[in-house]
Amino acid sequence: MDPRFDVELVGVTKRYGPGKPAVDDISLRIPKASYCCLLGPSGCGKTSTLRMVAGHETITSGDVLINGSNVTGLPPIKRGTAMMFQNYALFPHLSCADNVAFSLRMRGVGKAERTRTALEFLGLVHMEAYASRLPAQLSGGQQQRVALARALVSRPKVLLLDEPLSALDPFLRVKVREELKRLQRELGISFIHVTHSQDEAMALADMMVVMQDGHIRQAGSPREVFSNPATSFIARFIGGHNVLPREAGLIAVRADRCRLTDAGAGLPAQVEAVEYQGGQVRIVVTTVNGENASVLLPDAEYDADPVEAGMHKHLTWAPEDERRLAA
Amino acid sequence: MASDTTVELPATSWRPGWTRPRLSPWMVSWLQVGPLATVLIVLFALPTLTFFAASFFDYDRVGIYPDFLLDNYRELLTSPTTWRIYLSSMRFALIVWAITLFLGFNLAHFLVFHIRSNTTRMALFLLCAIPFWTSGIIRTIAWIPFLGRNGVFNTVLLDLGLINRPLDILLFSDLSVVITYVHLYTLLMMGPIANSLAKIDRALIEASRDAGATRWQIMRHVILPLSRTGIALGSILVFTQVLGDYFVVKRMSGGQSASVVSALSTEIQAMQYPPASASAVLLVLFVGLLVAGMMRVVDIRRELVS
Amino acid sequence: MEYREPRPYTFYLLAGLMGLFLLFLYGPMLVIYVLSFQGPNGGVTFPMVGFSTKWFGDILKPGQIANIPASFGRSMLLSSVVTILTVVISIAAGLGFRRRFPGAALLFYLAIASLVMPSLLVGFGIGLGFTLLGLPQGLFTSALGAQLTWTLPFGLLTMFAVIARFNRSYEEAAADLGASPWQRLRYVTLPLLLPGILGVAVGAFTLSYDEYARTTLTIGSYNTLPLELYALISSDSTPTLFAIGTVTTAVSFILITIVLVAIMRLQRSRRMTA
Repeated sequence: MDPRFDVELVGVTKRYGPGKPAVDDISLRIPKASYCCLLGPSGCGKTSTLRMVAGHETITSGDVLINGSNVTGLPPIKRGTAMMFQNYALFPHLSCADNVAFSLRMRGVGKAERTRTALEFLGLVHMEAYASRLPAQLSGGQQQRVALARALVSRPKVLLLDEPLSALDPFLRVKVREELKRLQRELGISFIHVTHSQDEAMALADMMVVMQDGHIRQAGSPREVFSNPATSFIARFIGGHNVLPREAGLIAVRADRCRLTDAGAGLPAQVEAVEYQGGQVRIVVTTVNGENASVLLPDAEYDADPVEAGMHKHLTWAPEDERRLAA
Repeated sequence: MASDTTVELPATSWRPGWTRPRLSPWMVSWLQVGPLATVLIVLFALPTLTFFAASFFDYDRVGIYPDFLLDNYRELLTSPTTWRIYLSSMRFALIVWAITLFLGFNLAHFLVFHIRSNTTRMALFLLCAIPFWTSGIIRTIAWIPFLGRNGVFNTVLLDLGLINRPLDILLFSDLSVVITYVHLYTLLMMGPIANSLAKIDRALIEASRDAGATRWQIMRHVILPLSRTGIALGSILVFTQVLGDYFVVKRMSGGQSASVVSALSTEIQAMQYPPASASAVLLVLFVGLLVAGMMRVVDIRRELVS
Repeated sequence: MEYREPRPYTFYLLAGLMGLFLLFLYGPMLVIYVLSFQGPNGGVTFPMVGFSTKWFGDILKPGQIANIPASFGRSMLLSSVVTILTVVISIAAGLGFRRRFPGAALLFYLAIASLVMPSLLVGFGIGLGFTLLGLPQGLFTSALGAQLTWTLPFGLLTMFAVIARFNRSYEEAAADLGASPWQRLRYVTLPLLLPGILGVAVGAFTLSYDEYARTTLTIGSYNTLPLELYALISSDSTPTLFAIGTVTTAVSFILITIVLVAIMRLQRSRRMTA
């Protein structure tokens, strides 16, 4: 048996009751040692999908395969997965070392050996000094590292992360993001990371899976999805795109590929607002047809020809930057 | 859909066997609540049905005889004593309820909204709660030396010159019964109300203040409605304790009043089980109606279980 | 200097009410404590005729009417058994109620009914049942059962409150790390619920220990302490009663303080982050 993919979902559906299913017949193949992000708004089914892979939710129909073996119906420990919970779920009554050693203790490993292993894994996340502390004595970022160590002790083939960065403040988020990516590379296993932040997903993912209403709308590398969004939903959710109706159908154009000109070809539009974003300036316009659109300019370019709210301009873009949208 | 749509199932597509026998979730729950259910059914439901059945039995001085007579009920309901006792008990219950509600609500409000430090709040609450854990009998008789003619209260008042003769009505009167009930049962009102008040989102109060409401308006329109469940719960507890009381009325009224339950216990001691059973059934119906009425105000199950 | 926000006038009113209430609560109790040191010739009311510990000594001597040490022993034994049973049954039932199952509502209302039903009627029902079946009443049969109908609803409601605060992600994490259901219970669920469980235990013990109305008709021949006390009160009033009251209160107080301190310690070290 030659497992070509770390994780495979085959026609997986999850129903919680009568009515629309939370996850509707999705299929996905995640290549070996890849960082996969499940991205979508709340209620899209990404967390349910993650929990079905983990074994914390039963699958209504379909199969989950890990490394080529069908794990549908197996309890979490027998799947070769490990999960990092959104609230970390570190056992408050156990020290960090005991938390990390927990899975070993459940398997009956002796005290000396599991303490040694626990310290080793705490070292991996630079938390050995806190081995005897209780979780309540740690900061959010520190707790997360311990939770990571605890998940990795069982040497999983796939690590599942449920919105791991949501509880952190923005600066810490970026730092921890880098660490997660580095860790995934070093360990050489697959990570499945659920998030509702497209920035996070684009920065981390080798494979980005955009979900909506229980379906997978698009799966591919971040570059691919950003450059060629399949639907208007994806274009809007990813951000940085203008979705405009044409006679032939909807199109999407990247906001940073749009420009404002004084006259000539293009869509007449009125400037609504100008937002300074550091290295870029975002200009919000309303077209003559009443749609909202925005233009992202490098700040130097903006400074060369600034605009103000109320001005009338023309919204233009190169035809090769247009993307036809399926819906 | 997306890129990876064509998936061939691997050759070894099989569902692995369950690793352990799986019970359906509700069967696990049944096993877990089994002991509780057994105790309650055998030791509560069945005994209640027993005296319900016995209320229809015949009896004489020698023993009791299974039958189906309504005589016990007829005697019970036509006797003026029955109505007198129930009226008296309800009177006590209403007075005690009003006082404990006033005290309980204000004290709970004080603890929840006026005390700022958590430690102080806990300490005060514990102070109020600790007497509750001393036997009710001892707490009841504690009032006797306190209220008696030579008791502390009279002595202090005499010494202060506020009265010339010791007050007789303090002890062995309706007043002493009410005082004792309030002493015993105020906590039953305070606890649930404090619980309800603590659950009120402070943001609601701030928003009301923002909209210009005075403190009394906030009390009337925000706090009181949101503490309905605590008040209902406390009321149920106080009413059932007073109506089901055996000891307090007997001791503290000096024999002038009787409670429903103490009258019942006299019949039990005389081994007249069928009429005692009829009295019991009447009391159960009475209390049951009251409680059902109060439960219309609040969905107890949602409050206590969620 | 620390800035203290000014208090509304109602604060002082209510603080006064609280003060008066505490006086009201503890006043009679203090009278009992004082009178238990009543002189050898004094009676059950004031004035104090001298000062002695005679009545405390009398507790230990089995008198003609009441045998305090024996009934005390019985009370302790019965209450201990009731406590253990209540804790185990309440924990199991509390966990069971986490799911929806057919009959959950019925069982819940049955428990509430058992709580709310006048105690003497419950005792009457059990006593009558035993009599009709021809079974002898006993400490660990009918009396135990009667007390359980009182302690179990309290235990159940307490467990509800405790379990409601318990975050299930701890159990899921344990499952993720390979714990079987029994291991989950033993290493994660129970340790985290321990403060609440102690609360159930101490509540059950005090409720059982002071229980009178349900026990009196189901006790059989040999009394527990509250019943013995009642016999004392009805027949012969001496300050021995008050001495017993003082001792009982002291024991309750010490017991509850110990358990509360234990609970607070546990809760501090288990401050849940989820």
